[in-house]
Amino acid sequence: MRQLALNTHISGRFNIELENLRNSVMAMGGEVEQQLVDTLKAIATNHPGLAEKVILNDLKVNSMESQIDEECLRIIAKRHPTASDLRLIMIISKAITDIERMGDEIERIAKLVTKQKLPADVAIKASMLSIGQQAAAMMRGTFDAFARLDEDAALEVYDQDNSIDSEYKRLLNYTAGEMAHSGEPMEDWLEILWALRSLERIGDRCKNICEYIVSITRGRDVRHMPLENLQQKLDDLSDS
Amino acid sequence: MLKLFEREQLNLAKLPAEQTAIEVRDLNLWFGDKHVLHNITMRIPRHRITALIGQSGCGKSTLISCFNRMNDLIDNSLTEGEIIIDGRNINHKKENLSTLRSNVGMVFQRPNPFPMSIYDNVCYGLRLQGIKQRRLLDDAVEQALIKAVLWDEVKDRLFETATTLSGGQQQRLVIARALALKPSILLLDEPTSALDPLTTLTIEELMADLKKHCTIVIVTHNMQQAARVSDYTAFLHQGELVEYSDSDTLFTLPHKKQTEDYITGRYG
Repeated sequence: MRQLALNTHISGRFNIELENLRNSVMAMGGEVEQQLVDTLKAIATNHPGLAEKVILNDLKVNSMESQIDEECLRIIAKRHPTASDLRLIMIISKAITDIERMGDEIERIAKLVTKQKLPADVAIKASMLSIGQQAAAMMRGTFDAFARLDEDAALEVYDQDNSIDSEYKRLLNYTAGEMAHSGEPMEDWLEILWALRSLERIGDRCKNICEYIVSITRGRDVRHMPLENLQQKLDDLSDS
Repeated sequence: MLKLFEREQLNLAKLPAEQTAIEVRDLNLWFGDKHVLHNITMRIPRHRITALIGQSGCGKSTLISCFNRMNDLIDNSLTEGEIIIDGRNINHKKENLSTLRSNVGMVFQRPNPFPMSIYDNVCYGLRLQGIKQRRLLDDAVEQALIKAVLWDEVKDRLFETATTLSGGQQQRLVIARALALKPSILLLDEPTSALDPLTTLTIEELMADLKKHCTIVIVTHNMQQAARVSDYTAFLHQGELVEYSDSDTLFTLPHKKQTEDYITGRYG
């Protein structure tokens, strides 16, 4: 794997700009990660105040996305980056869209608490929290891998989504069964299903960012490839 | 809301005097019958890099040459309007041109070291000013070469002829020669067009350092260079100032269509 040295340009200001850009993505990621942690806590303790804070804080995440996007545009216009620098900036521009969407998914989950629509079924709530913890761990791993542009770590995190997906499917079947003989309004169940779906989508967004990390380090677009092929392809590249 | 990136956007139209290095008021210039600059009015901020861009013949080199009255050397040139530097209109007929040109240094497209040693090149202007004490000259030469990021490369061969230096070193030497006079303004007319891309980046990095010491005005054909190095950019077309703003805005969201067409290569 080729190491990306961001701070070796002749232009010291370009070094600083790239470093600031990367740090700002980390700051945005940290913000969204905290949003998910707070949301899970709000679900566990049935704390509408904390969930409300998460919903309001999403505006901050949105603003961060706009600012980082604008900075990417500014750097492209002023610095004319090439090769790995250009890939990094383009990928950051894509990654922040995924991070912002994660923020939106979290906001939707938090609304379950503010609307007092948390599942009454203890098993569903426990599984929801379990998926949430896995998504939070995956998010943490993704941002760590991004901070170091660590391809191996990215591949490891990528794999964790399988566990979230299977847990989600199991929970979906269970919830569908409960819905069938529950007297609660259908719209309440739909809210729960949407929240579960949102948790599952966070895992998918993390996967996207892991693919971006590999795109930066390898200079190859590895999206739309199953994990087995991805690993195999990377192994081939390493051998050659 | 949290601000992730700091941006300076001075209001150039209302720049206070203490932040203004050069104020141009209704400047018109003719070479014979040819009206070259039309009613230029602008304020150039202190300790910033301002780039002048535009097509060949748009008047950008003529404008920069007005700032130390180099156009006086051209026959049939006529200048009207005011250029205020340090509170004085430099277009006044009693302006001391020698003092002005010490304070407003200029570097040209092709490095033009004098055929003498590196040391003598740097202290040439100081000697013209009558400074003869060796210690003062030594200090000035060292300081100027350090500021021009050339000291480490030439400190062991100061008395070798300057023409043995590479193109990039020669250009930094010429910058050091201007810096030795401690100018408050440095004018750079296409300073890197004769240099290779990596040497160009070295000179650009030098400019970023030098703005701590002086105000820099650069003329460049290379729009990418203007975008990279400058804090503020002025776009000139046929002797008129079309747009003048911070470079971030000018290169991402220009207000005038003419500017947009020029910077995007749609110029007809």
